[in-house]
Amino acid sequence: MPTPALSVSHLRKVYRSGTVAVEDISLVIPEGEFFGFLGPNGAGKSTTIHCVTGVAEPTSGKIEIFGVDAVKNYREARRLVGLCPQEFNVDPFANARQIVDWMGGYFGMGAKQRKERIDYLMERFDLIPHQKKAFRELSGGLKRRVVLARALINDPKLIILDEPTAGVDVELRRILWRYLQEINKDGRTILLTSHYLEEVERLCRHIAIVAKGRIVREGTKDEIAGIPGGLEAAYLTATGAEPDHVAGE
Amino acid sequence: MTKPMGVNWIGLYTMIRREAQRMARIPIQAFVAPWISALLFIFIFGYIVGGRIATIGGHKYLEFVLPGILMMNIVNAAFIQSSTAIYFSRFIKFVEELLVSPLSYVEMIFGALSVVVLRSTVTGIGILFMGMAFGVTHMHSWPMFVFWVVSVSTIFGLLGLIVGLWSKSFEQLNMPVVFFLTPLSMVGGVFNTLSMLPGWLKYLALANPFFYFINGIRGAMIGFDEAPPELGVGLTLALMASLSVVVWRMYATGYGLRE
Repeated sequence: MPTPALSVSHLRKVYRSGTVAVEDISLVIPEGEFFGFLGPNGAGKSTTIHCVTGVAEPTSGKIEIFGVDAVKNYREARRLVGLCPQEFNVDPFANARQIVDWMGGYFGMGAKQRKERIDYLMERFDLIPHQKKAFRELSGGLKRRVVLARALINDPKLIILDEPTAGVDVELRRILWRYLQEINKDGRTILLTSHYLEEVERLCRHIAIVAKGRIVREGTKDEIAGIPGGLEAAYLTATGAEPDHVAGE
Repeated sequence: MTKPMGVNWIGLYTMIRREAQRMARIPIQAFVAPWISALLFIFIFGYIVGGRIATIGGHKYLEFVLPGILMMNIVNAAFIQSSTAIYFSRFIKFVEELLVSPLSYVEMIFGALSVVVLRSTVTGIGILFMGMAFGVTHMHSWPMFVFWVVSVSTIFGLLGLIVGLWSKSFEQLNMPVVFFLTPLSMVGGVFNTLSMLPGWLKYLALANPFFYFINGIRGAMIGFDEAPPELGVGLTLALMASLSVVVWRMYATGYGLRE
């Protein structure tokens, strides 16, 4: 069996405050998959992503990225991942180009390699006219593009996108969708969380629905969305909401 | 399986480059403020007040106070650089850029401390030039001078990291400067010798680590020592080693860094 891109086994995360954010999550994402991770706010999606990428410390469980233990061999594991977080965790006084450049430096990329890659990403996300502007001066959509470019600077094998299209316009959404489909076709593995069900339905081939820190439904898109009412009905049923009631509102 | 990584030199250099660029954005705060403060100390305490004080150990009073003023500013620069850099990056959350990168904890700490030493050194060089303008900059031992600048910067860089990781507000971040750094450095022998103090204060001064830092750099600059240099060096190295272990442990367990 080939090594999966991401393997999470019995992940549990309890914050210092005592809040149990992830009860017990296990999932396996094969290489080349486009994986949708759905769930209501506070279900544990972002916490799972944070544990995978090193932003949060897992309380227990095992995480492997392309077979590399993400806790014990964290440096090797981090080399393989690119994270686009939900929040803008960026130095607001730095400009777009600096932000992406520093990230490339942290990943050990040489100056020439960084320049080529940054030029490509700036062009790809229409950031060239804005690359020297301070991050805090950019619009919400442009900020999102910068954070995306930063996540992709090291050309990661596993790309984790935590609500990448939240609050962005249709144009960027389409640019991003096209780009993600293209790099997925090239073999990149993508884990996407989103509250836009049509986005997940359009892009993902495999879907997991999380509620209260556990995966409550998992399968191919056809298995999950192939019921009357589609993905929305499946999502509402799996997360414990009432589909008819909500639809009738 | 991927090949194990060696030292991430480019990552380390990027940490330094990034902070240097940040300092370049705030030159008044980073350098001009400590230089003006040092200049005022030199002018008032050294030049005006010192003009009325007899020589100390054969040195003019201004020659005597300059190393202490230099050390006070190095301590402040080191502490403020590391504590504010780590606290601000936590507050805005861009510390996550480091956490998701293939940098080891040792590399993260080493990168932060390299910037601290850089800032302290630039601050110190500026003060040395000011001393030159007053004709009071001397160098008894360059190697010992470099040792004291680097080791004291490192100690207060490490302390700054501890406070920056521990603080949950800007108020907490400033507490050690107000209640600890400024008072201890003022009474650490910047303006006076040990022999000028009454008996009980002498013992208190000997228990103050700042006394050994100031005495050490004064010894390196003008050759005037009030305590055996080996004692100061030993204490400094021991302090540096213990603080390094504490900071490494904080990074490794994610204290203040990871949720």
